[in-house]
This record gives sequence, structure tokens and C-alpha cells, in this order.
Amino acid sequence: MELGTFIQSLLNGLSIGSVYAIFALGYTLIFSILGIINFAHGAVFTLGAYFTYFLIGGVNNGTGVLTNLGLPFGLPFVLATLLGSLLAGGVGVILDRMAFRPLRARGADPLLALVLSLGLALLLVNLAQYLIGAEILSFPSNVYGDWLPPAINFGSTENPIPVRGVQIIIFTVSMFVVVILTLLINRTKIGKALRAVAENATTANLLGISTERFILFTFFLSGFLGGLAGTLVATSFSISGPYFGVTYGLKGLAVIVLGGLGDIPGAVVGGLVIGLAEAFVPGDFSAYKEAVAFALLFVILLVRPQGLLGRKVIQKV
Amino acid sequence: MDTFFSTYGFLMVQMMLQALLGLSLYFPMMAGQLSLASPGFYALGGYIAAVISTKVVVTQGMYPFHLLLLEILLGAMASGVLALLVGIPALRLKGIYLALATIAFVEILRVVSLNLDITGGAVGIFGIPQPFANPLSYALLVLPLLILVAWFAARLERSRVGRAFTAIREDELAADAMGINPTYYKVLAFVIGAMVAGGIGAISAHFLNTWNARQGTFDAAINVLAYVLIGGSRTFWGAIVGGFALTALPEILRPLGDLRLIVNGLLLVIGAIYLPQGLIRPAWLAALGKRKVALVQPKGEL
Repeated sequence: MELGTFIQSLLNGLSIGSVYAIFALGYTLIFSILGIINFAHGAVFTLGAYFTYFLIGGVNNGTGVLTNLGLPFGLPFVLATLLGSLLAGGVGVILDRMAFRPLRARGADPLLALVLSLGLALLLVNLAQYLIGAEILSFPSNVYGDWLPPAINFGSTENPIPVRGVQIIIFTVSMFVVVILTLLINRTKIGKALRAVAENATTANLLGISTERFILFTFFLSGFLGGLAGTLVATSFSISGPYFGVTYGLKGLAVIVLGGLGDIPGAVVGGLVIGLAEAFVPGDFSAYKEAVAFALLFVILLVRPQGLLGRKVIQKV
Repeated sequence: MDTFFSTYGFLMVQMMLQALLGLSLYFPMMAGQLSLASPGFYALGGYIAAVISTKVVVTQGMYPFHLLLLEILLGAMASGVLALLVGIPALRLKGIYLALATIAFVEILRVVSLNLDITGGAVGIFGIPQPFANPLSYALLVLPLLILVAWFAARLERSRVGRAFTAIREDELAADAMGINPTYYKVLAFVIGAMVAGGIGAISAHFLNTWNARQGTFDAAINVLAYVLIGGSRTFWGAIVGGFALTALPEILRPLGDLRLIVNGLLLVIGAIYLPQGLIRPAWLAALGKRKVALVQPKGEL
């Protein structure tokens, strides 16, 4: 492989991989605390992108009930992204209060939580389709401002290695979020409490940690990360309709399993590995790119089920 | 009566086919294995039928019934062999890990079928010949098949193999200690489920007239899982009732128009919260006096 193409694939892989990482962190946070996989996370991803789109003043050109809807104002993009992600976090909170908590209160099987989250995903996706429609919504190409060039040349004038400016922004923002989150989990009191709840919810509760509050916070954090990832991906491509998040939802699963279920650095490593693996699929096999994440998922499950960074769980009788 | 069948015949056959798919997922679940691989095998069986009937054998008029039976058999056998190959390594995994591995399996099959020439790529295979003139005749094949598989499931529940499945479901380590070989029985349950799904796929390909990669997707896997869990995962009746109810539901909700998929999702949510054991429970059946109480009482919910 030529060096230029190599660097280009590397940078593209890191960029998409970093989005996979923050998206998957939302999954893994909930898994580490509750031991469930929240399939509604993909839907929250889509909602986050929609929220930001409308907050910057975008008009709905879809054919849903709210066709031609647009807010009377438009926020600056950075503010809109932040607010949109906060709203996505709010959706996470609502999901927990309305659905996951009643189920928890009944002490139901984790498998049922899986079905519940699938029902929620179906509900949210179809609600979005009903209200907004199935059409593609695109962010303006200069959404980050005019200072950002469409492509940045990483090579020389003779051998250009162009990488899209958006990709660089996505990578930077995602890595920033990963660092903040890592600090939050490892260096703050909130993080300590979260880790305690993840280790053993009952004991944490006995020690005076309000488990329910931290579960709610986890849902908020997860929704926030999902919404942010959705916005970032949507600025790079577009919102391809209410099913936008479904593919990412499935890939996110591959990411967290690859890194180790419930493992936070694992989700980051998993995201980057899958992003890079996809970027390096040779052009002749690009149609099989969609299967790369799942092939990796399948192989890792057979070879090392605890994931790349996960701890091996020893079954006790 | 004739108008009834011409209006609802298609739906009724579809309900039976989906109930059979539900049963295909129920077999691994009998042994406590959450496998979402059914749509993958279903798609495989369908492709086998579609390829044979459109590319291998060229027929005029009605498609011969014996060839359909051959396709069902081939679909079931191919799925069984594939299940054996995938199942032996995959069934070392437990719970959610197995579910994820089977999701990966379904997705890989889907992407491969999207890209192969023989499966018609993204377009799929069209104009699959019809062995029957109307849905009612399909029902005459599918209904006995449903009864047969349900009867098999009922016999299995009370047989030595079925009790081994139950033992593994309740406590795999204890079952192992009692001399039951968990891997053998788990793979057996997985293969039985795959064969049912493969055979049903072969019928569905003819019934739906067209076959493409959308047949075996993650969404389809979730639907089938919902049949079993909403219907009740402790008895084969659950898969059948769930398959019937959830396939008919979008049609029943049709007056709601665009809102029906939202309501469908809402019902899944409500079902998961308020009917954790599903619609049909063994104890409930026992109360009806139809069956003996299950030997092992469920220790948890689901």
C-alpha cells in the first residue's frame, strides 16, 4: 500500500473509530452498571442528531406530521450540539424512569430488559418517522464555520494526502470527550460512586450510595454520549432518516464486545480497532466493509469472550 | 367464507410461518440458550429454494410439489450442517454473549448475501414459481407442518432429551455434574431450531414470491425473539401464540395508520414490564387442566 493512501486510511479510520468509541461508551456505561444492553441507544443517537439539526435552525423537509417545521431561531452550532446532546441525555433519563426502572423494581430477568430496550427502540424510531418523516436531512456543509477548510492536505503538493476537515474535528472532539469521561470516572467522587455501583449495586447501596440516582445519571450520560456521536456522524454524512442509528447501534455492540463488555478503556480501543479495520478494507472488497465489525465480533467471542481488555469472569457455584 | 380467505388467507399463512419461526427459536431456548440465529437460517433456506426453483430447475406452470418438498429438506439439512459448524464453537458462550455472536452471524450472512451473484445481490431473487394457486393451499402444507413441529416440541418437552434441556436451562453446572453433557445437548437444540428455520425459509421463498437480504436481518431476529418472550418462553405454546399475535397485530392496528408501528413498540414495552412471563405460562396451562405441571418450577421470571 502506498504511504499516502495508508496515512489517509489511518486518519479516516481513527476519525470514524473515535465516534464508534464515544457511542459505544454509552452502551458500556449502562452495561457496566446494570448488566443489560440497551438497544434503544441507537435510537437516542438518531434523536441527538435530530435535536441538533433543529436547534441550529434547520427546517424539516421530511413528510412527517411536523413537515416544514423549523424553530424560529437558530443557535450557534457548538451550543446547539451541547443542548442537543443534553436533550438526548434527557431522553435517556425518561427511558429509565418510564421503562427500565419499573422493570428493575420487579426484579425481572436481564433478558427481558433486552426485549424492553428493543421495544423502546422500535417506539422511538417510528415516533421519529411519524413526526419527521423518512427523508434525509443534511447539515449545511459549513456547519463548523467557514474557517474549517473542506479538506486538509497532510502530504506535500506533489503527493497530496487530503483528509476532510470534518474528520479532524470529529476525532478531536471525540478524544476530548473520552479524556473528560475517563477523568470523571477515575478522578471524581461521582466516578468513584459509579464504579462502586458497577462493582456491586447492593453493597454500594448499603454503604450509603443512592444507587437509583447513579443509575439515572448513567442513563443521562449514556444518552448524552449517544446524542453527541449522532450529531458528529450526521455532520460528516447526513441524517439518513429515523433508521440512521440502527447500523451504528449494531456496530456499537461489536465495539463493546471487542473491547470487553462494560470496560471503559476497552470501548475506546474497540472503537478505534473497528474504525481502522473498516478503513483498511481494500477497495475491491468495500462491499464487505459492513461485515468487518461483525466478523471481528464473532472471532473475538470465540477466541477471547472477555474482550481485548476485559477481565475473565470466573463462574462461581 | 371465500372472501374471508381471499382477504385474510395470506395473513393466516404468514402467521403460521412466523409461529414456526418462533418455535425454531424456542428449541435453543428450551436448553436456556438465547440464540437469535433463526433469521439467518431462514434466509439460507429461502435462498436455497429460490436458487433451485429459478436457476437450477426451469419449470412451466405450477411448480411441482415434490420439488418443493425436496427444497424444504435441503434447506433444513443445509441449515442443520451450518448450525453444527457454527454451534460447536459458539455454544461455549453464555447468555448475552451467545445472543451477540448469533447477531453477528446473521449480519455476516446478510452482507454476504447482499454481495454474491447467485443470491441476486441487493435486488434479490424475483419471480419464484408458485407451487400452489392460492394461500389456502399453502395453509394445507403449513398448518400440518406447524402441528407436526408443535407435536414434536410437546413430545420433546417430556422426553429424556427435553429434561436434559430443562436441566441445562435451570443450572448448567449442576446438569454437567449430574452427567449431562451440556455441549452435546446445547448443540442439539441449536441444530433442531436451525433445521426448522431453514425448512420454513424454503416455503416462505415460494410463498412471498421474492427473496432478498432483508429476510434475514437483525430486525427479523428481534421480531422472532419477541414472539417467544411475549408469548411465553416456558412452553412451546408461547412461541405459537406469540407468533400468531404479533404477526396479526400490525394488521389489527391497521386502522391506526402510521401510528401502528409506534403502538407495536409500545405494546412490546408494556408486555416486557407487565407480562414478564409472557402470555402463556405452564402453570396457567396446568390450571386449564390440559397438561401436567412442569417438572421443574421456574425459579426466576421469564
